[in-house]
Amino acid sequence: MLQKPESGALPIPQAEGKDGGRDGETQALTASQEEAPSPLLQESSKEDLGAGREEGAAEPALTPKGARTLAAKALARRRAYRRLDRTVAELVQFLLVKDKKKSPITRSEMVKYVIGDLKDLFPEIIARAAEHLRYAFGFELKQLGRKHHTYILINKLKPLEEEEEDLGGDGPRLGLLIMILGLIYMKGNSARETQVWEMLRRLGMRPSKYHFLFGYPKRLILEDFVQQRYLNYRQVPHTNPPECEFSWGPRSNLEISKMKVLGFVAKLHKKEPHHWPVQYREALADEADRARAKARAEASMRARARANQRAGIHPW
Amino acid sequence: MQETPWEFVVPDKTPSCTQGGARRAGIMTDVHRRFLQLLMTHGVLEERGVRRLQKHCYRVHGRTAAVEELEDFINNINSVLESLYIEIKKGATEDDGRPVYALVNLATTPVSKMASDFAENELDLFRKALELIIDSETGFASSTNILNLVDQLKGKKMRKKEAEQVLQKFVQNKWLIEKEGEFTLHSRAILEMEQYIRETYPDAVKTCNICHGLLIQGQSCETCGIRMHLPCVAKYFQSAPEPRCPHCNDYWPHEIPEVFNPDKEREAGTSKANKKPSRSRQH
Repeated sequence: MLQKPESGALPIPQAEGKDGGRDGETQALTASQEEAPSPLLQESSKEDLGAGREEGAAEPALTPKGARTLAAKALARRRAYRRLDRTVAELVQFLLVKDKKKSPITRSEMVKYVIGDLKDLFPEIIARAAEHLRYAFGFELKQLGRKHHTYILINKLKPLEEEEEDLGGDGPRLGLLIMILGLIYMKGNSARETQVWEMLRRLGMRPSKYHFLFGYPKRLILEDFVQQRYLNYRQVPHTNPPECEFSWGPRSNLEISKMKVLGFVAKLHKKEPHHWPVQYREALADEADRARAKARAEASMRARARANQRAGIHPW
Repeated sequence: MQETPWEFVVPDKTPSCTQGGARRAGIMTDVHRRFLQLLMTHGVLEERGVRRLQKHCYRVHGRTAAVEELEDFINNINSVLESLYIEIKKGATEDDGRPVYALVNLATTPVSKMASDFAENELDLFRKALELIIDSETGFASSTNILNLVDQLKGKKMRKKEAEQVLQKFVQNKWLIEKEGEFTLHSRAILEMEQYIRETYPDAVKTCNICHGLLIQGQSCETCGIRMHLPCVAKYFQSAPEPRCPHCNDYWPHEIPEVFNPDKEREAGTSKANKKPSRSRQH
C-alpha cells in the first residue's frame, strides 16, 4: 500500500522551518542583525562569531549563567546564519528553474515561494544569490527596469563563435528563434505575423501542428518567446482586418546583436554581410553603441571599486 | 589589495557565505561554468557525452589549460556547489549499467525541477505514474493503468488523449522511458528524485541488495525476495560458475546479463543493449 504524499504540496522547494517558524530563531536573527553588520561583509560576521566565542573564554569573571546565555546566543546566531544560507541556496535553485523557462521572475514570487518571513532581508539574500549565480554558473541577475521588481538571468560567459557553440538541449529552439530574429531584422526591425508564418511554412511548419522538435509552433512563438521577452508582439494600428507584428524583445537585444544575426542570415544565403548595405551599416552602428556602453559601464565599475577600497569596504 | 578592475576583485575566490568559514578547495573558471550551464540544459548525460562536453568547454574557454581528469573536474565543481545544496551526481542506467550524470538537488523537494515545464495536472499525472511504477512488481506501469487515473488528477480536467501526449512529453524530457506500451523511470528521474522517493514512499520503495541504491527495474530471488539491479547482477556474478543468491544461497534462476563495457561498445558501433531483451520480466 503506497503512502500518499502530502496533497497540495507546492512543486517548489520549501525552506524548512518556514512553516511555524520558531520564535527563538526569529528573535535571534533580529539580535544578530543589530550586533553584526551585513552578512555580505563576511570578514566582519566571522569576526563577530569568533568574538562571541573569545568573549566566553577570555573572561573568567563571567558567571556560569552568563556563559550559558552567551553560548545560547552564539548557537542561535549560527542557526540563523544557517537558515539564511539555506534560503539563499533555495533562491538560487528557484531562479535557475524559473530561468530555464526564461520567464522573468518577480520579487513577489521570490518572497512568496522561497523567502517567506525573511523578506526584510531580501536585499542581502538576493545579493548573495546573485553572487553565487555569477561565481558558480556565470549568470548575471539583471533587474528589468528600475521601478519594476522583475529579474532575468543573463549569460556572462564570453559569447561563442558559431562553430564553437554547443547549445545542449536548447539548440533547435534557439535556431528557430534566430531565424525569426533574422527575418525581423531584414524587414526593417519589424515583421508581420503573416510573414513569419509564411517563412516557417516553407520550412514545413504549421502554427497548430505538433512538431517533434518544437511542440506546437504557435504556442512556442506567440506565448513562450514573447513571455521570455525574446520577441515583442503587438497589433499594428489602423489595420483592417487587424494584423500583428513582431519585433526584437529586450532579452534578444541583451543576448545577441544585429551584427551576429546579420552574419547568420548572410551564411544562410551564402553571401557576405555587406551584401545588404543598409542592414550592414545599421549593424555597425549598433556595434559601436554597444562598445561605448560597455566602456562606460566598465569605467563606472572601476571608479566604484576604487571608492570602495578607499572606504575600506571589501566586497567578499 | 592592489588596484584591480571591478570584475577581477572576486575572480577565483569562493564566496565564503557560510559561517564558520569552511574553506572550499574548488576553483571555478569559465570552463567549469560553461560545463555546468550545458549540463543543465541536457538534464542528464551519458558519460561519453559528458567527456565530450568537458573537452568542448576546454576548447572554448581554456585552450592552454591542462584538461583535468573527469572525476577531479566534477569533484571540483561539486565542492563549489556544496553550499548551494546541489551536486553533479553520477548514476547508471538500470537496464544496462551505462554511467550517467545529472545536476541534482540535495534537499528534498517534490518534483520541483519539473515544475517549470509542466502544468499542475501534468505534474499530478506524473505523480500518479510514479506511484504505479514504484508499487509494481516489474518497475513498469502500463499506459492503460496510468490513463485510467486521469479523472483523479488535480487541476484542469484532462482527457485520455491529452494524457497520452503528456506521457510522450515526459519521455521526450527524459523523465520516463517507454517500452512496449509500458512506462518506467528514466535514469534522470531516479537520480534527481531518489531521495524524494525514499522519503515519500518508504514502505513501497525497493532497494538493491548489492549497491543499496533505489531499485525500479531488476531481478529478484524467488526464495527470499531480495532484489538486484541488472548491472549489479552482472558484476556480482561476473565470473561465478554457479550463480547463487547472496542472501539465502539458493540457486539464482535468472539469465545473467553482461557487464557494460564501454570499449566493446565503441568497437561494435551499436549498443549491445539493443540486442538483449529490453527488460527483465523475471520477477
